[in-house]
Amino acid sequence: MFFFSKILNRNRYQQKEAQTKANLPQDQFAKQDSLYQDLSHNIEEVKRLFPSSPDLIIYRFVAGAQKTPVALLYLDGLTDKNSINNHILGPMMQNPPDAKQAMPVPSISGVRTVSTWDDLEAAIFAGESALLLEGQQQAWIYDTKGWPQRAIEDPQLESSLKGAHQGFVETGQQNIALLRRYLPNKQFRIKEQTVGQRGRSKVWILYLEDIAHPEILQELETRIQNVDVDALINTGELAQYIEDDPHSPFPQFIMTERPDSAVSQMLQGRFVVIVDRSPSVIIAPATFTSFFQSVDDYSTRWQIASFIRLLRFTAFMIAMLLPALYIAVISFNYEIIPLQLLLSIAESRASVPFPPLLEAVLMEITLEMMREAGIRLPAPLGQTIGIVGGIVVGQAAVQAGIVSNIMVIIVASTAIASFILPSYDMGMAVRLLRFPMMLLASLFGFIGMVIGFMTLVAHLVALESLGTPYGSPLAPFRWADMKDTFVRLPLSQMTDRPKSARPIQNIRMGKKRPKGDES
Amino acid sequence: MNKYAMNGITLMQYIFLIQGAQVGTGILSLPRVLAENSGTDGWVNILIAWGINCFAGWVILLTLRKYPDFALPDLFAHLFGKWIGKLLLLPLIAYYAFFAWIIMINTMLFIKAWFLPKTPGFLILLLLAIPGYLVVQHGLRVQARYAEFVFYLMMWVPLIFLATLKHGHWLHLLPVLKEGWEPILHGLPKTVFAFAGNEVLFFIYPFLKKKQYAVHGMLIANTMTMFLYLYVTIICFVFYTPDGITTLNQPVLSLLKTIEFRFVERVDMIFLAIYLIVVSRAWNAYIFCTVFSTSFLFKKQDHSSHTFVYFALAIVCVYLVKPTWNQTEHWMTLLSNAGMGIMYALPVLLLVYTSGFEKYRRWKAG
Repeated sequence: MFFFSKILNRNRYQQKEAQTKANLPQDQFAKQDSLYQDLSHNIEEVKRLFPSSPDLIIYRFVAGAQKTPVALLYLDGLTDKNSINNHILGPMMQNPPDAKQAMPVPSISGVRTVSTWDDLEAAIFAGESALLLEGQQQAWIYDTKGWPQRAIEDPQLESSLKGAHQGFVETGQQNIALLRRYLPNKQFRIKEQTVGQRGRSKVWILYLEDIAHPEILQELETRIQNVDVDALINTGELAQYIEDDPHSPFPQFIMTERPDSAVSQMLQGRFVVIVDRSPSVIIAPATFTSFFQSVDDYSTRWQIASFIRLLRFTAFMIAMLLPALYIAVISFNYEIIPLQLLLSIAESRASVPFPPLLEAVLMEITLEMMREAGIRLPAPLGQTIGIVGGIVVGQAAVQAGIVSNIMVIIVASTAIASFILPSYDMGMAVRLLRFPMMLLASLFGFIGMVIGFMTLVAHLVALESLGTPYGSPLAPFRWADMKDTFVRLPLSQMTDRPKSARPIQNIRMGKKRPKGDES
Repeated sequence: MNKYAMNGITLMQYIFLIQGAQVGTGILSLPRVLAENSGTDGWVNILIAWGINCFAGWVILLTLRKYPDFALPDLFAHLFGKWIGKLLLLPLIAYYAFFAWIIMINTMLFIKAWFLPKTPGFLILLLLAIPGYLVVQHGLRVQARYAEFVFYLMMWVPLIFLATLKHGHWLHLLPVLKEGWEPILHGLPKTVFAFAGNEVLFFIYPFLKKKQYAVHGMLIANTMTMFLYLYVTIICFVFYTPDGITTLNQPVLSLLKTIEFRFVERVDMIFLAIYLIVVSRAWNAYIFCTVFSTSFLFKKQDHSSHTFVYFALAIVCVYLVKPTWNQTEHWMTLLSNAGMGIMYALPVLLLVYTSGFEKYRRWKAG
């Protein structure tokens, strides 16, 4: 009996499933690809397409001499109220001056018609308004996009002393406009792509046709095409999907919020990738040394700019190697430093109960915590943290004999050095890399440091950004590019574009230069 | 179509690869070896050895020029057929593999002696293997970039030696050829071997983009090595007395030990640590030749797995053998005998064989 009942149950279950299956196609049947002629039928369908959307406004009214019933659909908040009221509803509700005209025309640009539900849906989601007419199997779409926007302001992360004080914002089209203002040139090209199944972010690749290398463009396009995700929230995400080596600590693209630095890179033959809804853009391909350059370098005197460049490279070495060097010297190779210095270090370390590595890691981690705490806090509080952390904790730790004075000096100078780098991403990479360096130094002394350095060089030499060598112009060595690497020679000397982005047009100065508007 | 064009290297990279393969740990004891065998006229040896090596390199290139798209394994397969070619390749692989291993062992012994006396040798070799694997794994272009970058990075190092010159006595060098040519020729074999490195030509030549400069590049690389050796040797000879120098194991390091700056004592230790970067080019080059050949034997396009196996074996060997200075010295002698064959006899034989081979083919084709 039990056996039968089981079979019976199963049958019933299957019947139920069959029923639901039968129901589904019926439901689907209602959804037809194109719009209906009947307006109320269309509105029913719209309501079904946008369930639980209180922000969808469906406004029904009659228009024109024939008193045709029409309906205007838009999403509240994504649209510009002003243009809807004044330029769509206004003209349509007034009586047409010309009685022969069947339908009044809204005074708004960007008009098109769609006839499928998919297109209608996409248009409404994009912030456009749709006008449905009785008896028409199509909808008129008006460009009424207008969403909450931030004003254009100075980018906080990369403020510049002499450069422009305009930063990118969250609207892609505006970012493109910011770049176009710098380059009113025919060769300025934009390629549009859409990324993300749900988010459908627009991604634009901007470049100068006669300078940028077509192979790199090809590579960039394929990589962006291959990104298959739900949504792209930020440019940083896209960068991680399309970079060459996801396991490298180094940033493989420059991320900037500054239009002027993006333009200067475009003029060197690089590509700018703008992601809609994100204020930072990707500049690709990047080289290691390009993270040590800033726009200000080109607007100051060349001696000063060169000095600052050298300072940055020195700071890079200090930030990465100084704590490791200290550990190596006091735990292994103390014979290297002169006796006087050794004595003063020993005196300062006499009361410290920890091995050098522990002491250094303790201080470094405290410092990193203070840095991280300072980022999230509002500015006045951040200063307090700085004072409490830097002065109170540091001083107390020394007096309590937990760390030595020299270690405080070293950690502090390391921190300052790591903040000199103009790129936040590169600064973070350096801050992270000094921990393995410290570990190697505490295990193997000097040799450990050299091995760490060799590993770093080996990695940088092998790393590529969009298939172009990351180590350029150091490895492969390019003598001509040295003008703008460790030093920055006078601008009149820089007649050629740097080779690292493989530009297809070299000369950028003087009479022989192609103007870029020919052809 | 050249199957190596994808990994093409520039002339400068070609020069630095050769030069990098030549300069190893040998330079640290070279002045002593020269002084022992030939007295203070030893530096003349370097010039002669340079001449010999340039000639040998030229002979290698004469052969390779006929087959610009062939590395040594391809060439062997072409000349001797598939199986005999592979069989003939085996001793060469052993030579390259052993050479790279010896360079690493030497470095390891130096590190043990000067820095980490209590650390087991295999651990040091493991340390050396990390950057080595990262470089060799990728193919010749990355390695060439590494060699190039390291050269520019280390260009300033020889300048340290100038600090010792104020204590030097140039009289030590005079008179030139005070004992005639015989002692000079006596030390020649060892000096010649200090230039070992030209044999990487067999592997890097097909990658060179501008083949017309291959000979020039080889000459420049050898000349750079020659100048470096000459510079270091003469400074050592000038600083130490002719007899005193023979009592020092590594006169170069002892020389640096005498330098003292206000901010740093013991320049020799810093130098030796940094010199590790320079030597790494040498073993990288030989390991590349080894794994390139073995992956040819196994018909693999990518040699990264072989590189890994090589380093693993090298570490295991050190763990099992625990090499000492004397053992290494003995192996070096064996290796230099084999090196003579590969650097000088093989190119000549190949040149003769290929010209005969081509004539035979032409005759056969009618």
